[in-house]
Amino acid sequence: MRENSQTPERPDEIERWPRARLESWHLERLAEVVAHARANVPFYSARWLQAGFGEGQIESLRDFERIPIVSKQDLIKARESWANSADGPVGFSTRGTSGEPLVLWLDAAEEEIYIRPTMRGFRWAGFRPAMTALLMSPVWHRLAACEAHAVVRLGGNCAFFWGSLGADNMDSFVRTLFSVRPEFVTTTAPFLLAMVRRGAQGGLDLAEAFRSVESVVAVGLPLTPRMREFLAERLGVGDVFERAGTQEGAALDDCRLHAMPHVHEDVCYLEVVDANGAPVAPGRRGRLVVTKLAPAGSVFVRYDTGDIAAFAVDPCKCGCGFRRLKIYGRPESSVMVGERMITAYDVRIGVERDSALLGRNVLLIRDRSAASGVLTVAIEGERSDGAEGVEERLCAELGVERVKILWLGGLRINWGFRQVIDGREIGISNG
Amino acid sequence: MPAAETRLIFDVPNGRLVFQPGALDAWAEHLAWCYELMGVKRGATIAVQDFGGSPLSFLGSALLMPGLVRGVAERLGGRFIGLDASAERVTLTPAVLEQIPVDVLVVRADVAALLAAEIRHKGRSGTGKPPARTVIAFNDEDPPPMRGSGAPWRYLLHVPSSMLMAPQCGTCGYFHLRAGVYRLDGVQVSNLGYQGAPSWRLPQSWTRTPEGCALGLDDSTISPAAWTQAVEQG
Repeated sequence: MRENSQTPERPDEIERWPRARLESWHLERLAEVVAHARANVPFYSARWLQAGFGEGQIESLRDFERIPIVSKQDLIKARESWANSADGPVGFSTRGTSGEPLVLWLDAAEEEIYIRPTMRGFRWAGFRPAMTALLMSPVWHRLAACEAHAVVRLGGNCAFFWGSLGADNMDSFVRTLFSVRPEFVTTTAPFLLAMVRRGAQGGLDLAEAFRSVESVVAVGLPLTPRMREFLAERLGVGDVFERAGTQEGAALDDCRLHAMPHVHEDVCYLEVVDANGAPVAPGRRGRLVVTKLAPAGSVFVRYDTGDIAAFAVDPCKCGCGFRRLKIYGRPESSVMVGERMITAYDVRIGVERDSALLGRNVLLIRDRSAASGVLTVAIEGERSDGAEGVEERLCAELGVERVKILWLGGLRINWGFRQVIDGREIGISNG
Repeated sequence: MPAAETRLIFDVPNGRLVFQPGALDAWAEHLAWCYELMGVKRGATIAVQDFGGSPLSFLGSALLMPGLVRGVAERLGGRFIGLDASAERVTLTPAVLEQIPVDVLVVRADVAALLAAEIRHKGRSGTGKPPARTVIAFNDEDPPPMRGSGAPWRYLLHVPSSMLMAPQCGTCGYFHLRAGVYRLDGVQVSNLGYQGAPSWRLPQSWTRTPEGCALGLDDSTISPAAWTQAVEQG
């Protein structure tokens, strides 16, 4: 890929650009990506031809919004006409939470572009030269592959534990925490919550394990404000930062104000659209559509990630001009109650207002009663004193007719990325 | 380029590997040699189902690790797909194989059975191309039973704490301890390329085998005794 002459010399300069200048820059990058896709990716050229989207039509962001949105199934079906061996030497697979995984390719030019926002996010999270970072596996995620590069460029050291990010590898992770004594940790929120649970059961001295850690960057689960504070307090670390993103190119990081993650608008162009593909106003939820601004690697132009997201209404007080966006979940982490889509995040917000319930695993139950307006929620542990208040609060906040809470008592369900289960999985009749 | 004092630390079973910038390339070159000895062709797409902290994963490409100038993918002119070895990810591998024509599938021995079951369970749609070769990476003292030499798969002896990677040769059937990288003294295998790596003691069930394989005339070769007998009996 050719070096972009308009790429800011200083990595953070672009954060301070006036909105109009940033949008003008976006338009140029989008035109470049569209031209690249049209010339090199037969899937897009055929799709756009069919849709009547001709050449030379990107003169405004409104023009860009006329490009057809594509789905994961479209790309899987397209196979080599979308992704091929020229796309890059390293492949990653998505987690397949919505069915089949999608395999995509990373190349050196694209990685170079994505290392910069990773460095920015880590700086926001307090990374300083000479720190040691305990990082996620570089093969776990396309964004994770950039982490070690970012740490080294920031003048730090990298450490990796043996294993994966499942509860069965917690001991290995803790051994590395004790032996390496990192100041900075990146991992998944479910993994952290599993550790907190282990700590509460007396099986792990969390304060000692995280003694050296100043910052934790958590991915994989949208953090509620109270959950983030709860994690920081239980782990005994300076701060916990939310990092979000998708294999397909979205990249976001919390700044120090934690007001909602900032989109790294120098590498991705994100849209939030309604069911008809029309943009929705900031503050309103819709489907997250991503376009990678790098004309390299596997190409994503107006790709519907399946995530449910919303832009923040106001600019952030931190001074960074990048828009903020929250990814709330996906259809797989949500249930339809009557006509309303309720995400696990929404339910956790309501449940966690009761401090006694903070840190408990909360799962939505997908069952037949949802069609008639009943939201069923399973909460681990015993019924809390304020249980009735929780049900009333959820009804009011979520706008559902009735909420039924199932207290799971001693039944422990691993914290995971999956937040919705079929009632039969935990012995509850379906309906 | 990373600063000279930068450290890359990998906790592995029974030990730790620490690399400084510039030290990784020699190991990527060695791993690429291992693949070639196992019959992997240039340009191959190699998918590795292992943890990210395993050398088999992090040496896969320069894109995965700072300080690595040319990983296995760059050296073989091929492609690398990192498949985490968690149970959750193993279940996805059959679908990945459906999408991408993988030439070589490298699997940790402890998830090989699970993966085989997943592939059987999911079946194949017929659109995907099965891997041309499967490499089972193991580090225990009791490797899986030997298969016929004509089978499209090989074993890779991999002991991360000793940075030991010894491939099963497609020609002689034995495991090559590459000359200049490892030295076999009696039953001790020393690592000549990684200072401080603990030597690996040949398990009792393993033997030194006749040397002089055309693919590595100066290499020492070893094998589980039962395999050696099978080879000698033709």
